[in-house]
Amino acid sequence: MSSSASRPQVVKRSWLICLTLVVLSVLASLLIGAGDVSPGRSAQALWSGADSEARFIVMELRWPRTLLGAMVGMALGAAGVILQSATRNPLAEPGLLGVSAGASFAVVLAISLGSSAATLNLGVAVAGALAGCFLVLLVTQLRGIGSDPVRLILVGAAFTSMLMAISTLILLSDQRSADEMRFWVIGALAGRPTETAYSSAPGVLLGLLLMLPLIRPLAALALGERVATGLGHHPQLTRMSALVCVAILVGTATAAAGPIAFVGLIVPFVARRLVGPDIRRTLWLSLLIGPIIILFADTISRLVVKPYELPIGVVTAFIGAPILIAVVRGHRLPTL
Amino acid sequence: MALATFNFPRTWLRAFMLFTSVVASVPSASWAQTAEARAVETAFGTVTVTGTPSRVVVLSENALDTALSAGVKPLGTVSTRGSTGVSRYVQDKVGTIAIVGTARETNLESVFKLQPDLILAAPDLPKAQYEKLSLLAPTIVPSTAVTDDWRKSVSLYAEALGRQEEIKASYQQLDQRIAALKARIAPGQVASVLRWNPQGPILMSSHLFAGQLLQQLGFKSPALAESLTQRPHSDILSLENLHQADGDWLFLATLNPEGEQALAQARNQPAFARLNAVKNNKVITVDGQLWSSGAGPLAAQKILDDVEKVVAH
Repeated sequence: MSSSASRPQVVKRSWLICLTLVVLSVLASLLIGAGDVSPGRSAQALWSGADSEARFIVMELRWPRTLLGAMVGMALGAAGVILQSATRNPLAEPGLLGVSAGASFAVVLAISLGSSAATLNLGVAVAGALAGCFLVLLVTQLRGIGSDPVRLILVGAAFTSMLMAISTLILLSDQRSADEMRFWVIGALAGRPTETAYSSAPGVLLGLLLMLPLIRPLAALALGERVATGLGHHPQLTRMSALVCVAILVGTATAAAGPIAFVGLIVPFVARRLVGPDIRRTLWLSLLIGPIIILFADTISRLVVKPYELPIGVVTAFIGAPILIAVVRGHRLPTL
Repeated sequence: MALATFNFPRTWLRAFMLFTSVVASVPSASWAQTAEARAVETAFGTVTVTGTPSRVVVLSENALDTALSAGVKPLGTVSTRGSTGVSRYVQDKVGTIAIVGTARETNLESVFKLQPDLILAAPDLPKAQYEKLSLLAPTIVPSTAVTDDWRKSVSLYAEALGRQEEIKASYQQLDQRIAALKARIAPGQVASVLRWNPQGPILMSSHLFAGQLLQQLGFKSPALAESLTQRPHSDILSLENLHQADGDWLFLATLNPEGEQALAQARNQPAFARLNAVKNNKVITVDGQLWSSGAGPLAAQKILDDVEKVVAH
């Protein structure tokens, strides 16, 4: 890595870049859409109510969606960083390891058992994500797999496809339309009720608060279990609480927007590239990069197939898959 | 001896030869009524059918509807989309009927077990399936597109069934009813048929069965529905473009029976709530099995029922 003297400058510059991009992505999300309201009309509608059509589209359709996207981006980005630190695996990603699929599966099960309350879905999704997290933990304890990042991902991929298959089966037998089904398999930001952004805020906030006391132990864990123990930390306890934290963040995000894959992979990858592997730096930066990725991906999803829209999960997969391959094919996997 | 032919039924001709050998092996009692043979033009060439078939298997909802309208009770059929049985609108008419597959895939063994003397299949039947089915019985596959006049395939099925008179009578009834109903509907109103889903709606092409009927009744359709000539319906429309699906009347089709629930869900979406049809309370929830998958004289009557209930005055 670069010399320690220039490090603060690099960090500062990264923050500036990310803050600028956050502003740009929010603007893009508010101004660009699949409809025939142009960016110019949308910009005017931001402060004048004269054009009621544009005003409606910007304030009632794009604004809640942007807010939800930012929330989901923060949750998934932070969850990705924490999960990678806890498993010490640069490929660990809630979407790839079955955490999102677990949350999604739990919600599908709850819906087919007759639940329709959004609030219940949130709790159920967190519980499902938690189950997915513990499976990850269990697998990392298996000899050989925990130390081999790629094998962990393979196990996760198998687990994810199994859960997705069961979810699809339940939805099929439930006589739901394919479109409704798609949401719980790929995820989307469009058409979520306006309250979703507000009702998922407490979950994201709780997850982020729980994260605070974990930062130092996770940073110590990066030095190896023995060193972490020597520094007075409890690696096992740290890992467990980190996974609970991940479960809350991913569960909330999935209940709100369905499973959006690869964001938890892209965000830590970019953050590491910018400020190095130290979690004390990447975690905070990930809170900005998450929304940037989600909001830009969502904006793209509106433009590709006008007048229709792609689910955002498709776009993130297109960005994420090459990154996954790049990380795996890199000369050496960064040790976390 | 005929084993090689069974393994390589490359052309319809060979299939036909096999069929004739099967027919020749039928006991002579039934031979008498199969005297007159007629050639039916299908997507896979000319198929010869004799007499009035009585053991009929129908592999599309359109064919099922046609058979029932013509007074034939098929032995087997495929399940409707999103269900394990037949569409609700024909449920009380089919009696006991075997389900031999889904719209996508036919279980050949189940068809074989029914010993059919005629198989009516959907226009998009894959060639590989056709080759196998045509070994069991003459198989009729119309060469029509989904956007063609729905009566084209119905008439073809009726011809194969040897019951053109019955179908002609049902056309006449329909024409009379449409003419009477049309007189009670103000002309030039725009009606759109869509399926709701939380990310946005799916607009049905106006060239499909339901759209054809609405057109005959004097309704117009939104430009977007009109432009869908190659596909049965649109993708999920962006909520920003919901107004493209707006009209004087909005038929909201749901595949499950909880239509009202889907409507309530749709009303929660502000972009839906501000549509003209919604504001004017002119949204009608209808059975998606009937409106988006059904086709045939019976389905037509049911759709006219739906329209008459609310639109005419």
